Amino acid sequence: MGIKLAKSLKLQNDKLWSLDYSHGLLATGSTDRKIKIINVTNAPRGQVSLMDVLDDTVHKKAIRCVAWRPHSNLLAAGSFDSTVSIWTREDDLEEEEDDDEGEGTTNSLEMDLLAIIEGHENEVKGIAWSHDGALLSSCSRDKSVWIWETDQDGEEYECISVLQEHSQDVKHVVWHPELPLLASSSYDDTIRLWKDYDDDWECAAVLNGHEGTVWCSDFEKGKNGESIRLCSGSDDSTVRVWRYIDDDEDGQQEWICEAILPKVHDRQIYSVSWSTNGLIASTGSDGTLAVYKEVSNGDDEHDWEVIAKQELCHGVYEANIVKWIDINGNMMLATGGDDGCVNLWNWTD
Amino acid sequence: MSEFINENPDVIEIDDLPSRKEDVSRDILLGSVGNEMTLQRKKLLLSIDDSKSKVLQNLELLDKLLLINPPELTSDEESIEESDDEELNAEGPTDVVDAQEIYDLTAHISDPEHPLSLGQLSIVNLSDIEVHDCGDPKKMAEVVIRITPTITHCSLATLIGLGIRVRLERSLPPRYRITILLKEGTHNSENQVNKQLNDKERVAAACENEQLLGVVSKMLLTCL
Repeated sequence: MGIKLAKSLKLQNDKLWSLDYSHGLLATGSTDRKIKIINVTNAPRGQVSLMDVLDDTVHKKAIRCVAWRPHSNLLAAGSFDSTVSIWTREDDLEEEEDDDEGEGTTNSLEMDLLAIIEGHENEVKGIAWSHDGALLSSCSRDKSVWIWETDQDGEEYECISVLQEHSQDVKHVVWHPELPLLASSSYDDTIRLWKDYDDDWECAAVLNGHEGTVWCSDFEKGKNGESIRLCSGSDDSTVRVWRYIDDDEDGQQEWICEAILPKVHDRQIYSVSWSTNGLIASTGSDGTLAVYKEVSNGDDEHDWEVIAKQELCHGVYEANIVKWIDINGNMMLATGGDDGCVNLWNWTD
Repeated sequence: MSEFINENPDVIEIDDLPSRKEDVSRDILLGSVGNEMTLQRKKLLLSIDDSKSKVLQNLELLDKLLLINPPELTSDEESIEESDDEELNAEGPTDVVDAQEIYDLTAHISDPEHPLSLGQLSIVNLSDIEVHDCGDPKKMAEVVIRITPTITHCSLATLIGLGIRVRLERSLPPRYRITILLKEGTHNSENQVNKQLNDKERVAAACENEQLLGVVSKMLLTCL
């Protein structure tokens, strides 16, 4: 069991804040205002290629977050300039026809600006697409979470809800992988869950417990809605696991903090990721990348154990993000840091 | 800043001023053959030998040995670097920062509303600076600096803290994690200001705010 560096890529000239993976492509966003697209299909064998660098004049400030839309070729990017940009790429059909001309053809892909979404008063800090790709959520220092509805083409965005219950900056949003349920993490030390009550998005639960800014959360995957759990990472250096219990008579969701994972970090935790096979990864200011596994402890009890740890995963720099990525059945971890690098790690069980 | 100002008025004698910790073995070992490379080699040999051999205890002889055989040692150094052995790594002196240096970096920052520096106003004090550093350039180190605002409702405490953070982030190597706190009991909204000053994302956003950056740049003009 372990983490082994497969590839380190110096992509950006400043802090690398965010990355997202879909269909062999990794997108990254940075303070240097550049969004890069990398083909990582062969990353388990240490091979990667830069496919495109998106127009860096579109955003006037740092790119804070990037997110691929499920079932489509669209990429969304949120920026400190208060806007969200939507990018599209042409189909790959031409590439296959040109294959005879050599390998060079697979090294290009062009993404063009499709739309700019305005609405937030200041820095956009997080964005996320719902599992069906129909809804986009964004959050900002202006304390609000917005939900946007879009069509198949993803060209038009209509705001269907502005959620303003957080009392401070909203740092991160994430959708449940199967349900219309949204979680937002905030500088007010709480996580809020939001759901649709007869076409009205409302707060369904507030998770209190963290003793500092909550930077990130992620849902458990592959449960087909049978059970709902969420993990979260915070300034208080803890990773917590929360479980949905039931709805009360007013339709509010009841959640409990089920576990605080074994302590690994001694500074802020900036990112957590829950893999499709049940492992949680965390990273943050101390540069440590940790992987936790839930193990049975007799009857119905479960404990979490640290099963792998990589210190200084971006050298002496802070790590801002970690994501599990599944490349044709190969489990890998992708991390991004203040050194402007993406590091790709092979994971062996 | 043409006249000498004792930024650290607790210290009366100039010789008592703290300074970067010098390696005491340096002067002894440098002797007649004086450059960093030989110094490192000598230290290396002495540490390997553990001072049991009389030849190596004799510094003059050691100097001669080193002069006879420099190419071999150079090639050794290369292989040492690759092997990543920290103790034997002969990259030269590491850049260790102490509290006095942090003080010197921040004390000359101008107060945003007074024509005085943060040191002169005792907003920054040497005794309120901590440095936690194992000295290994491949590991993280931490600087904790506690600032004392001039009044407990000082609305500019956040701006002063931001100025200090920008100054230190620009001056220190990237391995330093910087924590800036208001000294306990010196401000009405202590926790709020502390949280803001140590939120990486808020600081990054502030550094892209032209107006704010303009004010901070003015505060930093008086730094050397």
